[in-house]
Formats: sequence, C-alpha cells, structure tokens
Amino acid sequence: MLKGKVAVINRLGLHARAAAQLVRLASGFQSKIKLIRKDNSVIADAKSILNVLTLAASKGVDLEIEVEGEDEQAAFEAVQKIFKNGFGEL
Amino acid sequence: MKKIGGVIISHGQVANELLAAAETVVGELKHITAVSIGWHDDVETAKNEVARAIKKVSDGSGVLLLTDMFGGTPTNISAMFLEQNDVEIITGVNLPMVIKIASQNKEMTLSEMSQAVESQGKQAIYRASELLMPQKLKKDA
Repeated sequence: MLKGKVAVINRLGLHARAAAQLVRLASGFQSKIKLIRKDNSVIADAKSILNVLTLAASKGVDLEIEVEGEDEQAAFEAVQKIFKNGFGEL
Repeated sequence: MKKIGGVIISHGQVANELLAAAETVVGELKHITAVSIGWHDDVETAKNEVARAIKKVSDGSGVLLLTDMFGGTPTNISAMFLEQNDVEIITGVNLPMVIKIASQNKEMTLSEMSQAVESQGKQAIYRASELLMPQKLKKDA
C-alpha cells in the first residue's frame, strides 16, 4: 500500500465537476484509492463522487491518500498529479 | 453492461434542469431522461409522455421513476406504471439521487438500485455546518 499527501490548490476546491474528474481517473485503476481528511475524520472512496463530495475539501485543505492494489504505483502518481494540476483550473 | 434506466418527473422544468446539472457533472447520460408535466396538461397526455420516457431508457433491467413529491401529480401519474414489474418509484428527487443512478458501475437489480437511491437521497441531506463548522453548532448548543 502506498500512502501520501495531496493538497487542494484550485480556487473552487474539490467541487462537483472536479470530483467527477477525480472519480473518472480513479475508476480507471483496479487499485482501491482512499482519500482521508484528518481534521474532520472523513474517509472517502475516490471512485464514488458522492463520497468524495462529503470531504468538503475547499482550497487549502490537505488530504491523505492511500492506494492499494496491483496498479497502485500508477494510480498513486495519477491522483497526485491531478491535485497538483488543480484539476486543470489553474 | 446493463443499466437501470431513470426517468425524472416533475412539475415544471425542475426535471430537465436536474438532468442538465447531473450531465454537467458526470457527462452525457443516455440511460436517464426527464419529463416535465405542465401545470395544465391533461392526465392522458402526461401518462403517454411517461410511458414513452420509460420505453426510451429501458434496456430490460428495469426503470426507476424519480418524482418530485409524494402525493403530487407526477407521482400519481407514475403510480399508474407500478403494476409493471420493471418499474419502481422514488419520491423527493434530488441531485445526488440522479448522480447515484448515473454512476452505476456494476449490474444491480431494480430493487437493489431502488434501495440504494432512496438511502443515498436521504443521506445526502446535510445541515452543512455539521460538516463545515462543527464549532458553530457547539456554540448554539
């Protein structure tokens, strides 16, 4: 299992369309991908948009990610990249 | 993969707009459609429209009718289709319920899907400050 941190840097935060982008990306991998918001202890499955939205992650929020499965390395890097790119909104 | 179809049915344009909002979020949705029932439409016309919509989104695995409010005309007209085995109704439609039907990633029976959509719709209602500002609620208490 791979663990790491990502930061929400786009102005609108993890809103519905950004969450949908993340879910589309995550669903392309076989691995289980979890997003964890420590400050309010919410854990979301990155393949469920309604789950991801409950993180209520606005700009500036840090999330932990946990990725486990055969393609975990590729999934881990892809998820980190989409956050770093601010969901194409920067 | 077979998908449960969805028909959103409301008074006025709410149904179309809910579908448009869901499509903006998750992309085009071929297995979901919307029916707006005009305030002055007669029952037969409305019933025919719902029948056409059910047919349009059905692939044989069942169709879920999402209506705006229990007791309203859209629900009452939908209820005329309940005798069909492959139709189920959930009232009080909200955007998370539409997104739930939109994002089917495994085959489910109509009854499983109905339960999932019902509970999703209820769970997705939050007093936002509980999630965003729990300290504010403590102050109130």
